Amino acid sequence: MASIINSISFKNFFNYYGDFEDTRYDFEEGVNIVVADNGAGKSKFFNAFLWLFYDQILDSDDKIKKGIKDVAVKIISDKAKNETAIGDSVETGIQIEYSTGRWKYQITKSFTATRLRENITSFDSWQIIINDIEVNQTDHILPKYKPVYDAEEKNNIIKQLILPNLRQYSFFQGEEVDSIIDFGKKSSIEEAVRTLTDISKYEELVSLTKDFKDKAEKDLNKQTKSNSEHNDRLEKAIKLKEEFEKNLGNEEVKLVEFENLYNESEREKNELEQNFSNAEKRNELDIKIKEKNKKVNEIADEYSSFLESINGRFFDGAFSWISLGFENVESDFQEKIQKFREIHYEKKALKNISENPNKQFHFLPLDSPDSVSLKNMIDREHCFVCDREAKEGSHAHNHFIKLKNRAVDSKNDVEFVKNNLEGFFGGLQINAQPFYNKISSIEDSILKTREREIALNERLTKLKKELKVLKDQRRDILISGSEDEDAQTVINRYKGAIRRMESSSFQIERLKETIRKLKTNIQNTEKEIQSLRSSNIPEGYLLNYQICSDLADATEKGKDRVFNNMVSLLEKYANEHFQNLIKYNELAGGHLKFDKTPSGAIEFNYIDNKGNLVTGAAEGFQRMKKFSVVMAVISANTNKYNYPLLADAPLSAFGSAFTEGFFEATGKVFPQSIILVNDLYDKDDEMKINELGKKIIKGDLVKRVYVNQVTEGVEQVELITTKIKLK
Amino acid sequence: MDRNQVLREILSDKELCEKYKIKDINTLTSNPPYNNKLVEVLSVIINENDNNLSDTQIYKRIKNIHNIG
Repeated sequence: MASIINSISFKNFFNYYGDFEDTRYDFEEGVNIVVADNGAGKSKFFNAFLWLFYDQILDSDDKIKKGIKDVAVKIISDKAKNETAIGDSVETGIQIEYSTGRWKYQITKSFTATRLRENITSFDSWQIIINDIEVNQTDHILPKYKPVYDAEEKNNIIKQLILPNLRQYSFFQGEEVDSIIDFGKKSSIEEAVRTLTDISKYEELVSLTKDFKDKAEKDLNKQTKSNSEHNDRLEKAIKLKEEFEKNLGNEEVKLVEFENLYNESEREKNELEQNFSNAEKRNELDIKIKEKNKKVNEIADEYSSFLESINGRFFDGAFSWISLGFENVESDFQEKIQKFREIHYEKKALKNISENPNKQFHFLPLDSPDSVSLKNMIDREHCFVCDREAKEGSHAHNHFIKLKNRAVDSKNDVEFVKNNLEGFFGGLQINAQPFYNKISSIEDSILKTREREIALNERLTKLKKELKVLKDQRRDILISGSEDEDAQTVINRYKGAIRRMESSSFQIERLKETIRKLKTNIQNTEKEIQSLRSSNIPEGYLLNYQICSDLADATEKGKDRVFNNMVSLLEKYANEHFQNLIKYNELAGGHLKFDKTPSGAIEFNYIDNKGNLVTGAAEGFQRMKKFSVVMAVISANTNKYNYPLLADAPLSAFGSAFTEGFFEATGKVFPQSIILVNDLYDKDDEMKINELGKKIIKGDLVKRVYVNQVTEGVEQVELITTKIKLK
Repeated sequence: MDRNQVLREILSDKELCEKYKIKDINTLTSNPPYNNKLVEVLSVIINENDNNLSDTQIYKRIKNIHNIG
């Protein structure tokens, strides 16, 4: 009966804020998909299982797996950390429910963190205590769980969700599929065959029967020596055979050495190829990062200058924001200055009335209209304010002249107040002029400024995000390859590795030929010995030797047969899966072929329908090849494969043509799969998934679909992941 | 591991069956009684290896089958 994961829940686990009930994902048999954009909990989901099986998580900063206690503070949800006061505690954990035929289990792993100090991100600010693992079980009839107390039983329950030796085929991050099934490494194919067959038993028997053959031969030779009558020829033949066997042993040791050398060189060549292409990728990314950085800095400067300019808008006459809310000030001021001038007029009038009864009092401030305009109006005999004639000698014309001469006249004025603030208020009137006209448009201006600010900020944020993605890609390359060597060194080492492969391959062939010849010599000598042996040796010894010798050969051949049969079976299944995976792609029509390398490892190549070897195909295609072999390992399991697949699938590396085939094929091979993807996410869509995603979720094998989202536009400490259930 | 399966797999060699006059390997088991010395010796090796006997101990059993010291 398959083990099926029923639910996964989180408690304050990275972006999954809240209790277990708040962040629960229910799953069924068949294909379950969780769509999540980068940063929306995708790899954290995966981390829950790392914690379950290995008490580890993958630190996203350096892509290294670390123990829970070492990175506990990073694991706790930022929002939960922020909400925990000094002296209080917060619990963080994961909870997984799964069923087998008879039982249902609930496993909870958690720790309690007590806040000691202010800085929530510092490891020293928290005291961490790992809680006991809680395991509960129930049969499917009674709804209530009963606790499991025995520690060993708890561990067994956790282990049996996916058995350890099968986990590598059933639980992995998308990129890991490259190294899981690297049949270029002999050990990889041997491990797969070991997992699927009882070949280790055959190996034991091979060793035993070889040993018995030697023992039987020694016993026979002892008997022969004691029974023979100084048969020199027989003795020489026995000695010759012993020497051949000694040489054979030496040559076999050399063969193993050269096979190892070949493997090492091939491994180095593959790594260097990777490194070389990494070096090119690094260069490419470096250029992109430089350009993006430049753009980010430009926009950041623009944004910064823009923010600085905002202050100026308060006092700049073109914007006049300081006057916001001062709509009534103009009329207010007019009223007050009118009154002020009236009172002034009264006082001045009283003072001057006796001295100059014809003196005019002006309601206009000293420089309004300015003297240049006044002169213009005087010369042209026209009033530009009301657009009327003002002929010389007319009342209007004379008035212009009086206004123009105010400054002179005012010098002759008699003091009528202690402090004449007319100039001051007149100045206010003039200087406020530009502000009056802007008052009605201030709100609009502020709105436009805010819109511009938001647009610049969004643009800057977007560019920063894009820069981060590029840097993350760059860092991934750094982690998987070495930065230290330049391209020339890599090329030299690469050429060296190929040379070593070639020379060791040649040696392997030569040694195999030598070994074959030695074996033939041994056989011939053996026949001679048989014929020379005395006839009065007890038959038991002869029969013993004959049977042990034949069994040694037969066991060796039997072991090879088991190995080769399994490889053939893997090839058959791999092809079936490969055809399913590529069926929506134009590449359909060829097949996978497993070929042995000189060192005994397996290469699997794609042969098109004309029989040509296809090499250098795209990354997605390479992944499909490897993935079909992973699935072949699952199918070749003699017991039906009873464990769920848990993987995040880098669908962008697959390409959309493979993606459909991938989900279909997965659904047929694994009784349950939980696939985490980001490539189907579309934040602008109502359902938050793109067209390919909508097509996929319609499939009958797809049972559950969740879309994860991160709250937008909030501070880091408020970021949480929420989910939408689409199916 | 199915001992019978291992026995049959190792003996599934046509020349070997002819040499030791084994007619139908599908009927072979690793349990006594044995009609054939080859089958008997191999069965002893398979069974006693599973019982964790040492190679010296197993070889002694084999010699007993042939009545040799």
